[in-house]
Amino acid sequence: MKGFVIHAEKCMGCHACQIGCKDEHCGNCWMPYTQEQPESGQFWMKVNQKERGQRPQVKVSYIPVPCQHCENAPCIAAGKDGAVYRRDDGLVIIDPVKSKGQKQIVKSCPYGKIFWNEELDIPQKCTGCAHILDGDEPLKVPRCMDNCPVHVIEFGELDELDLEGTEVLHPEYGTKPHVYYTGLPKRFIAGTVFTPEDEEIVEGATITVTNGTDTYTDTTNSWGDFWIDELAEDEWTVTIEGAGKEKTLTVSTVEEDRGLGDIALV
Amino acid sequence: MSEKEVYTTTVQSIASGGTGGEPTAVDSKDGKIVRIRPLHIDEKYTHEELADSMWELEVDGKKFRPEYKAAPNYMALAYKERVYSKNRVMKPLKRVDWEPGGDPATMNAANRGKSKFVEISWDEALDIMESEIKRVIDQYGPYSVLCIGEDGHRESKDLHAGGGMHMTAMNLLGGYTRETRTPDSVEGWYWGAKHFWGSGFNRGGGLIAPPQNGYSNYNVVKDVTENADLLVFDAGDWELTQNYASMFFSRLLKYWEEIGKEFVSVDPFCNYTAVCHKTFKWIPILPNTDAALDFGAMYVMITEGIYDKEYIDTHSIGFDKVADYVLGKEDGIPKTPEWASERCGIPPHTIKAYARNLCKKRASHVHYSSGSIKTPYSHEPGRTQAYLLAMQGMGKPGVQQLHLEATLVAKEKLAESSTRPFSLLNHCRMFYPSAQSLPRTAVAEAIRNGHVEWYGSPCIVYVPTDEQFKKFTYPGDPKMGLMMAQAMAQRAGLPVPTEEPRINPVHMLWSEKPCNMNCWNGGFEFQDAIRSDEVEFFVTNHQWMENDSLFADLVLPVTTCLEDDDTMGASMTVGMRWAGYTPHACDRVGVSKSDWEIALEVLDRFGKREELDLGMTTDQWLEYGFTNSHLTTEVDWDTLVEKGLYYPKLEENWRDELPGMRGFYEDPENFPLDTPSGKLEFYSQALADNFPDDKERQPIAKWITGGPAEEGWTHDESLWGERCKKYPLLVTANPARFRVHVQGDDIAWYREIETTKVKGPDGYLYEPVWMAPEDAEARGIKSGDIVKVYNERGIILTGARISQRITPGSVVVAKGSRVDPIAPHIDRGGAINLISPEATVSKNCKGFAVTGYLIEAEKLTQEEYDSWKKDYPEAFDRAYDAGQGITRDAWVVEA
Repeated sequence: MKGFVIHAEKCMGCHACQIGCKDEHCGNCWMPYTQEQPESGQFWMKVNQKERGQRPQVKVSYIPVPCQHCENAPCIAAGKDGAVYRRDDGLVIIDPVKSKGQKQIVKSCPYGKIFWNEELDIPQKCTGCAHILDGDEPLKVPRCMDNCPVHVIEFGELDELDLEGTEVLHPEYGTKPHVYYTGLPKRFIAGTVFTPEDEEIVEGATITVTNGTDTYTDTTNSWGDFWIDELAEDEWTVTIEGAGKEKTLTVSTVEEDRGLGDIALV
Repeated sequence: MSEKEVYTTTVQSIASGGTGGEPTAVDSKDGKIVRIRPLHIDEKYTHEELADSMWELEVDGKKFRPEYKAAPNYMALAYKERVYSKNRVMKPLKRVDWEPGGDPATMNAANRGKSKFVEISWDEALDIMESEIKRVIDQYGPYSVLCIGEDGHRESKDLHAGGGMHMTAMNLLGGYTRETRTPDSVEGWYWGAKHFWGSGFNRGGGLIAPPQNGYSNYNVVKDVTENADLLVFDAGDWELTQNYASMFFSRLLKYWEEIGKEFVSVDPFCNYTAVCHKTFKWIPILPNTDAALDFGAMYVMITEGIYDKEYIDTHSIGFDKVADYVLGKEDGIPKTPEWASERCGIPPHTIKAYARNLCKKRASHVHYSSGSIKTPYSHEPGRTQAYLLAMQGMGKPGVQQLHLEATLVAKEKLAESSTRPFSLLNHCRMFYPSAQSLPRTAVAEAIRNGHVEWYGSPCIVYVPTDEQFKKFTYPGDPKMGLMMAQAMAQRAGLPVPTEEPRINPVHMLWSEKPCNMNCWNGGFEFQDAIRSDEVEFFVTNHQWMENDSLFADLVLPVTTCLEDDDTMGASMTVGMRWAGYTPHACDRVGVSKSDWEIALEVLDRFGKREELDLGMTTDQWLEYGFTNSHLTTEVDWDTLVEKGLYYPKLEENWRDELPGMRGFYEDPENFPLDTPSGKLEFYSQALADNFPDDKERQPIAKWITGGPAEEGWTHDESLWGERCKKYPLLVTANPARFRVHVQGDDIAWYREIETTKVKGPDGYLYEPVWMAPEDAEARGIKSGDIVKVYNERGIILTGARISQRITPGSVVVAKGSRVDPIAPHIDRGGAINLISPEATVSKNCKGFAVTGYLIEAEKLTQEEYDSWKKDYPEAFDRAYDAGQGITRDAWVVEA
């Protein structure tokens, strides 16, 4: 069974994977695997970006997302006449001939990774570059993987890839994706601690973040900064102890990450 | 060259900065590009064959070396879109209501940028070139031809490169006015830091380099890797800027993170580097207030005595004068962290932490040509940032300036400098003086006023610091022109001329890089100048129908780098430099020709083709270039042709090469700077002597905010003057994430990324204006609104993107979106440089100021939108492609 392991923590948002997919499929027809992808509007591989935190503690997470090549693929069930099928190697393929007119296949994907081609009247998506894997092309791996300069994307036999500690997107959909992730962002709480009376940062302050069950700690650095990530979406009590003072804040990460800015320790 | 093989893979240099980039594989079939991908270099050479060309760095047992899979810049990977863009110029284009002859009645100069074009044949286009060049030479003399586009960023080509072929051709036809490339990426260093630490890289670039190495830096990356604790990115966004050549620096940053480096980014924008690396601390700063931060930090360093005093004593002069200014002994105002905070917006406690971290850690500064270095009065932050580096002991292990020229890892045996290609065939006439010249920043002024005066050529490289004290004038002085021509002829061993050149103002403009309005200063003023009768003929060579070409009378179609047989490679900003054989990857698009070929065709009309091509074919030229290089000592031509690339071997003792400024640090007597004293000059006696009355650039750097013109100020572009009452926001106009300067704005694959453009209610993809939530709210602007960004120079339309990544009081509009004129001084395309100041860096500094200036932002009302649509229907009726935006079809009509 083939699949992907995507290391989101390494992604720096260059979009070379997304572009590689476009380059392979726009203007090139790889029948019988797939028809051409239109120049714009379809994202068989898309880097999902999300701005997180508040100034000045701001980050953007970049997560490359292709078709999940699910074990229980809803699109296979939705397609009529075998329009969507799973290959022996596990890749899920939409037959570009049999799927003509079957718009319901688009809606069946809970991940939104199937796109409707108005002009050709067919649904389309990532093939795992099956034409490359099977064919006599000058490369042997999917274009998204080959294009990435920092090895975010791995593709291969799942029993040969290291799946230790990986997660899947939306396990609650129950489709058993064959795309695994490391480094999916959790919530963060971050800030800069200072004492207002002398306008000095506080180095070495102890930060404790707890929700009653889980407790995380950090120590402020030479910029007065702390940064605690890997937090769940929850209500947290943040305690700051330093410069002989203590301050307690209540911080919610239910809606979003929290950049607390400059925190006066008084 | 073989014709249309089935499935050919060629090695290509596709880097929009012009320096080659990492090797890129292009798979083609039947003359058409199928895919563009990173080259796996071990498919060409074995690991053993590559071993002597590959460096390795090691810290704490963790190793870093070039990978066998190259790292092409992400723009290269999308280049099929550029080659087959719907915006390609397919045939020569002539403006419908312009006729040659210089008669205002048939020129319709005012319609430039408005009237459309018809396709014509090459014969007809060359007839026009021949007759107009002859007419201008007869009527005014050859110096009335202005050749625009010396050097600078362009596609990576060698023999076929533009950026001076027109000058080469015109030189053979009697002369030309040189449009001198001004110090675009290095303004603040060039006008400021050169007076502090000397000429800098390539003897003139202003960013530090040791004179003893021919002004080349080696081993800076190695020194930083092995010895620095902290890297401060005070101007620059590596993840983005590297895109002009490679993505090697993404790999380097990952390695540095792995070995525990600490990073700080001081920037008005939480930039693309700061935002994706967990290890980066972002310090938001108001645009162009960096000098205030630096003085605040210096105050801490001086009062706490934490700077490298011994180094300052032995390596510099004039520090006491700067210290007096910082401590308030000169003007009564101590530049305390609180003083600095009021100006730059950074809290005092962070300014103090900044100063202490710089001194207590081994800190290097990374500059990649953004932010304060391109602002009004950029010589001030250029100098203060250099001062900080000096106070940290510049050259000490781990204390370096890491900049665009200082990125070479290791050194090859064949290296002639840190930037020179291993072979060079390019015939562009670049960096040659001419009897008449104009700084690129002053073209509009020259056309409008007929007269310009300035100091310095001011050419970006290969000019010493004291060149800035020489006065130049336009129109050029024929006596000076003769002397210059005589000196050059003598040096070249050619017959020495005796007659003064016939010099007149320019009336014909020939551009090989038609993007002045979008890359340089005062874009709307440039458009106005082009619309005047002074310009009788404006011709551009270009691949795409965009920017200045929309204002041309004739557009000549140019090949892309994938359509020529050439020998490129990479000379800088890559993991390993290489020599290349880069044959065409696809059939030519339309009837395009390279700039080299266009120059030859024009010369052919004057019976002078052979004076340039010497009767040799392209293939003969390519082999000749190789044969005349040092490459022959390591590789033969057949191998280069077969493999497509070659990696020169490293010097065996490359590790011993003194890194960056180490020689000066260890032994300033034997490794002096090229300043008058050989030392760092905090106080520049040369500036004091030459410009005693210059209050904008004084002998020491100061906090300069400018003010009203009547008080003698060049700029009033700060929050401490008068204009800020009307235009209260400072704009940051850095390069865009998914363009290289103005290149690539038509790539649909990038335009559809949600942060690249903002889709307006009218379906048009507007260039984003990034705003802080509080600034947007105060103006009633919501995400996705069409926003007028304006000042008295004009209006550009943008789309609102509201973000936590912006320092309040400032906005970001990335530079380089294509112009799409609605009416004079109103543009829909969002080309921000159109409203940048035409006024240059300062009174005596003819560089550009294209970021950190004042604007206001306002939601465009439906009423105003409708009124423009009614008044300028043709501007709103232009053909618009959902993916690529404005394309050729918008400007070309049937004959």
